[in-house]
Amino acid sequence: MAMVNLTINGQKVSAPAGSTVLQAARLANIDIPTLCDHPALAPIGACRMCLVEVKGQRTLQPACTFPIAEGMEVQTESQPVTDARKFVLDLLFAERNHYCMYCEMSGDCELQALGYRYGIDHWVYPTYTKRFPVDASRKYFLMDHNRCILCRRCVRACSELVANHTLGVRQRGAASMIQADMDVPFGQSTCVSCGTCLQVCPTGALVDKRSAFMGRDIQTQHIQSTCAQCSIGCGMEIVTRDGNVLRIEGDWNAPVNAGLLCQKGRFDPLYDARPRITKPLVRKNGVLKEVDWDTAVQIVVQALKDTNAKDWGVLTTTYATNEALYLLDKLFRQELGVTNVGLLNDVAPKMVEKANGSLADVNNSDIILLVGANPASEQPVASFFIKRALNKGARLIVVDDQENGLAAFASMNLGMAEVEKAIEFAQRATNPVVLYGAGVTSEAARALQKLSGKAAFVALEPGVNTRAAAALGLNSGFDPSASKALYVLLGEQNWNGELVKKDAFVIVQASYQSPLTERADVVLPMAIWAERTGTVTNTEGRIQKVNKAVEPKGEAKPDWEILSLLASKMGKKIGTSLDEVSAHAAQAIHPS
Amino acid sequence: MAKVKIATDWLAACAGCHMSLLDIDDRIVKLLELVEFTSSPITDLKHPPKEGVTVGILTGAISNTHNIEVAKQMRERCQILIAVGDCATFGGIVASRNLVGTEAALRRAYLETESTVDGVIPDSPELGKPLDRVTGVGDVVKVDLFIPGCPPRADALFYALSELLAGRVPVVLPPEHFVYD
Repeated sequence: MAMVNLTINGQKVSAPAGSTVLQAARLANIDIPTLCDHPALAPIGACRMCLVEVKGQRTLQPACTFPIAEGMEVQTESQPVTDARKFVLDLLFAERNHYCMYCEMSGDCELQALGYRYGIDHWVYPTYTKRFPVDASRKYFLMDHNRCILCRRCVRACSELVANHTLGVRQRGAASMIQADMDVPFGQSTCVSCGTCLQVCPTGALVDKRSAFMGRDIQTQHIQSTCAQCSIGCGMEIVTRDGNVLRIEGDWNAPVNAGLLCQKGRFDPLYDARPRITKPLVRKNGVLKEVDWDTAVQIVVQALKDTNAKDWGVLTTTYATNEALYLLDKLFRQELGVTNVGLLNDVAPKMVEKANGSLADVNNSDIILLVGANPASEQPVASFFIKRALNKGARLIVVDDQENGLAAFASMNLGMAEVEKAIEFAQRATNPVVLYGAGVTSEAARALQKLSGKAAFVALEPGVNTRAAAALGLNSGFDPSASKALYVLLGEQNWNGELVKKDAFVIVQASYQSPLTERADVVLPMAIWAERTGTVTNTEGRIQKVNKAVEPKGEAKPDWEILSLLASKMGKKIGTSLDEVSAHAAQAIHPS
Repeated sequence: MAKVKIATDWLAACAGCHMSLLDIDDRIVKLLELVEFTSSPITDLKHPPKEGVTVGILTGAISNTHNIEVAKQMRERCQILIAVGDCATFGGIVASRNLVGTEAALRRAYLETESTVDGVIPDSPELGKPLDRVTGVGDVVKVDLFIPGCPPRADALFYALSELLAGRVPVVLPPEHFVYD
């Protein structure tokens, strides 16, 4: 790569050609203050905080957009520069309401930090006396226009990252306002509540309702983990304080999502109001009674010994770790010989011998075939990737017999029987991508084989850890009528147990109360997503870590630990430590 | 050495900044060996002496005509004027009145609150007349040092006074003492 040499504050700096002054300075660990700039967004030079002196230039230049050139001489903290930045801050503080003492963001606000840095200790210009609206019409976060500095980070996040184009700016100059769609309340707009704008806002203009006023960033812990609400496997940070989950943020460095999350991942898990199961329960004289773990496990072990393997059925959610699914398979299928085993969700059909595509391929595609999958509601972050590709000029063809959330964005909507038409287009494209889900019919699947070698095939698995469950063979087809006894790894999933025989003996491993746990004979309390450590496999086959952020509620235990406990009580040595089980699970999911 | 004279007063304030001054704790004993507090809102003598003081400290915002008189008198009678707290520096909580207007704020406070019976907006000639716009002290008189904070930490006030006693006038407080909240 061609390098360009310049000096910043007298220091010799080399940076790749095409870099901006800001990028070059960051490479050399020279700090230039920014406000509207964000590493994940394209620079627009709006706020003028990063103004620097460039020798030979008539005026100060914004470092975030100014390209470097050979021999350039830059000053980042000279008197004219700091004077200009103070002037910019004086103007920013003079607009709207920037009184920190009753602001939620005080302590974490980027504008405030710059006020401190440049010693803004009183107002130079008269401040606004106009009150701006607060829009709290969205469920999860609100917009306080009084705190907005019009940096447009939210607007760019909405269009560049999420490709949802809900946010925009109306009017000009001091009358500028951030708005949704054609100026409607956020709650009635096309907003999908992914919260990306919330995550990039530098001030207290966008505020998370649930974690507002619950502490400064410095008082919290950020635990890196993987979202386990769908099969995409987005990297996230669980933000906790004193053993409580405050909020979830997208991990900018995560390989799959690079910071993005969706409503399902960022907000919904925190609003789950279902009552938890916190103690083992055993049915005695027709009533569920709280017991200790030893008693519950003893009853399960006895039941497993008393009932013939062919009379057992095993059902599992895919809201479970690789470790739990591995142990479930190992204990029931391989050690006990249970054959009636099934999943609580469908699986995408096997399309090509070795799935060759990754979600990253969507970004570089010129035509996307979306077949039998509805990412807009099932894997929203994948739908953001698709819409981003469409922004860059790719075409989308939706092939689905169901209603599809991306139908409005498609150049063509076809029924499953018309899949050939879509294949024709894909064959003429340069980088076609086939995104397929469980809705693909076998005929369509066969027809799509024509594209193997040409297109990147990426499954959008329903459920969460479906890819791992399928790799372990847990989807071998479940017949509820064939089981007199049933072990259900229900986890956090909602399932009413409609298929369960009335007189079957039912053991449920679950986090929340549900019709199934009400009806069960033994209930084993299970930890939820924030309370367990392990790994999950995403729809691309990527194995990623989930980390415990808070202690399990009550006596709940992580999914795999419960199965490990059962196994050891039965005298089966199938792994007791997490590392051991993880290694076995990885081997079983990706046999090398 | 003669003691350095300090006068303090409050304008439209909640007294929190003066509490913070008292929060200097036992260091105030040491301080009193070097300075004399001539007057303050919490002592018998309320006005800075005619012969003047070295340091004048004002807390609170400029909210009515009386505040302007107090600020001007303090400015005339002190050599170094310090604006202490978010109200004195920026207008602070008091300035949130600007967002609704003085008239509406008075009506709400004296006539319309849920517990008001036969409310009257005070208009005695002895009282200062409320201004249309609340500002910091710097909008009315020249201020030599601004110490923001709601309230400023006791350490910040102690630091500023120590610096002044050492013959230095800080331009802006160092980062460890500089807060807006």
